[in-house]
Amino acid sequence: MENEQDVSRREFLKTTAAVAALSALPGVGAPALLATPSPNEVVNYGFIGTGTQGCFLLKNLSTIPQGRCICTCDIYPPNLKKGVETIGGNPQTYDDYRRLLERKDVDAVMIATPLNLHAQMVIDALNAGKHVFVEKCMFFKEEEGEKIRQAAEAHPQQVLQVGLQRRSSLLYQVAIKMIRRGALGKISFVRTQWHRNSNWRRPVSDPKLERLINWRMYREYSGGMMAELASHQLDVANWAIGDTPVAVMGTGGIDYWKDGRETNDNVQVIYEYPGGQKLVFTGVLSNAHYDFSEQIMGDQGTIEITIGKGVYFRETVARVTTGAAKENWWAGATVTKEATQEGVPIFPETRRMDQVGLVDREIYHARRWLATLGMYEYKEPHDPVWQELYNYLASIREGKPIAAPFHLGADDAYAVIYANRAIDTGQKVFWPKKKSLTGELLSPNPGTTPRACEG
Amino acid sequence: MRLSPAWTGILRALGLGLLLSSLTVPVYPQAQAADLIRYEASHPAMGTVFTVVAYGADRDYLAEVVDEVFDEIDGLDAQMSNYQPTSEISRINREAAREPVLVEPRLFQLIQDSVRTGAETGGAFDITVGPLMKAWGFFRGQDRLPAPFEIAVTLKRIGYQHLQLNAADRTIRFERPGMEIDLGGIAKGYAVDQAVEILRSRGIQSALVSSGTSTLYALGSPPGERGWRVSLRSPYDAKKAADVVLLQDFSLSTSGNYEKFFRIGGKLYCHIMDPHTGRPVENMLATAVLAARATETDALSTAFFVMGVAGSRKYMATHPNLVGILYRPTAATGVFKRVVLRSPSYTLPPDALVEIKGQRMAPSPAAKP
Repeated sequence: MENEQDVSRREFLKTTAAVAALSALPGVGAPALLATPSPNEVVNYGFIGTGTQGCFLLKNLSTIPQGRCICTCDIYPPNLKKGVETIGGNPQTYDDYRRLLERKDVDAVMIATPLNLHAQMVIDALNAGKHVFVEKCMFFKEEEGEKIRQAAEAHPQQVLQVGLQRRSSLLYQVAIKMIRRGALGKISFVRTQWHRNSNWRRPVSDPKLERLINWRMYREYSGGMMAELASHQLDVANWAIGDTPVAVMGTGGIDYWKDGRETNDNVQVIYEYPGGQKLVFTGVLSNAHYDFSEQIMGDQGTIEITIGKGVYFRETVARVTTGAAKENWWAGATVTKEATQEGVPIFPETRRMDQVGLVDREIYHARRWLATLGMYEYKEPHDPVWQELYNYLASIREGKPIAAPFHLGADDAYAVIYANRAIDTGQKVFWPKKKSLTGELLSPNPGTTPRACEG
Repeated sequence: MRLSPAWTGILRALGLGLLLSSLTVPVYPQAQAADLIRYEASHPAMGTVFTVVAYGADRDYLAEVVDEVFDEIDGLDAQMSNYQPTSEISRINREAAREPVLVEPRLFQLIQDSVRTGAETGGAFDITVGPLMKAWGFFRGQDRLPAPFEIAVTLKRIGYQHLQLNAADRTIRFERPGMEIDLGGIAKGYAVDQAVEILRSRGIQSALVSSGTSTLYALGSPPGERGWRVSLRSPYDAKKAADVVLLQDFSLSTSGNYEKFFRIGGKLYCHIMDPHTGRPVENMLATAVLAARATETDALSTAFFVMGVAGSRKYMATHPNLVGILYRPTAATGVFKRVVLRSPSYTLPPDALVEIKGQRMAPSPAAKP
């Protein structure tokens, strides 16, 4: 039985989220004004799926006071117990997520279950009036995307955020700003990899639990390495290039870990973009040397970036100008090759330099200089996972623009699904004919404009 | 007939648990030991290299469990590191002087335990001692001698008593500006304990977990043997053993002035601070502490180093099941003297084994130096 206070609080949260949700629909910019911002409200949330990833998110959530976990749900009792211990605060527990969704005092949910369960849970949660955070990928099968889109449009006052944490990373945001400002010139090629040297399994002592614990190995539940590993990086490529692919081809196999798994233990895919840009992804489970990162290459420069570290390199290019130039040359000391090809660390400094005082500007430039000398490392203040969860709660409470809204999650999920299809069939897979932001059908290779609402 | 723990461990590791209940004759060790796989892997974290050795029947299973262990250690490192601005400890250090900061449950418990140990050691173990270490140049590795005035000012910024912990809210606040938490004296031990938890929960019966070599935990015994054999290096010579210890289901930590130090003017300044004087401890070469948990041995190896023999003995009078070995310099160069202390109240947990130099540590009053 809900009391008056609960109802008005829920309506308040929906109102502020309405403004946030609007920004999720393509073509709408960030909200200019908020109705009644109240940053003092705590969001009561339920957490669905408290396995390894779920507990990792809960560990971060336990340090964010803007949310309170009042219930959790998992079908596997040891994981359910671990989730409760991780978050603290004695949440109520469920083994059926639908009963959790029935609670009127739950404002929001987080979903970190196996991939095949995402779509139905997202739809049910939206229909139950909850704000939704869902781990990537947003959905598993192609037809689920449209169903989620319809549910999201039917509930515009509710936040829907996907767990693409690089969108919440200050480091990545600065890198993308550099790209938009021309630091790389014209991007032609993105290469990303996720390489490990392990069987990618979790230990299972009882064979009966194998498919439950190691669901990532089985096609009934899992999109394999593309869904679990590549998806973050496909999103980064889309973000950097400013568009989504038109086609993908690829190959893969079970060539090393022949242990009864069904998903590939290595994948190699190539995506084509409308402007002719290419993206290559490799996933390997038998060599960890190259770890994981993205390399974004343009005719003027390169960015190498991963969680916690980003470096920018200039290309050595000829400088071409028109008109007469005053020739003024210097003779003297030799400049070494190393000095001209040093990478410059990317800084998570987003304050506009014309809006800060002289001292701050000087400090900023001094740090940059020290960093190039290897004497100072400038890093972002918060782990991107912590930040994306904080952002989710801030979207609900204050209407902050959603860090990774529906259309990004959908683009990402389709990229994964089509890649897997290309690998399985050995055929190049084409995106369905794309529509422009105003609804007109586009041919496969136009100069499509980048999406609005960059992170 | 009751089998000894070593045989029990071996049989369990072989998955022959059912045989235990019906066995009436001993199983010959050689055949069984040869079937077991010894899996060893190392992983850098917390500024050192963690190593796990585990015995079991299935290589892939052992690899998966050890991967899980290293994932957990990485998570703890990311949470507790003073060298990463994104860690929870760094965030607390930035914000807790301004306002109470919400803390993750297990970290909160660890900080509470650390504060309690601080109180019980009279401040010899103090997680707020970071600024003092920095004054002596130990954070980024630049040797320096701080002026007495600098020490006096720095001492105002340290003191576990000035941490405000609110258990109901699970928040922490610094009562004084400029305070910092540094878990360097306890984090590795804590990580070793979590590693052992995971190994035990995954059915591993025989393993050793080591963080660098300063803290290690002996789980069970190696197959066919009685205890894990550990040599404690001499304070003056890394290649010589001052003592040899046999351990089963017990932890060992060492602190030494040979770990991090610098010399100025021929004098050695070590990294272990006496929070009362604000200066590095003198007249102690190394300590080794043995207890049931690595979190405890890690913290106490530092505390005993600071407290010396008298202070350590006093602490052990009210804390059971501890063994401490303290190595001190003598007037002669290169010659040290050692004293072995143990808690007056000393009963080992079941299946645990502690032997020093072939002598089993039996409950008895503290030995005289």
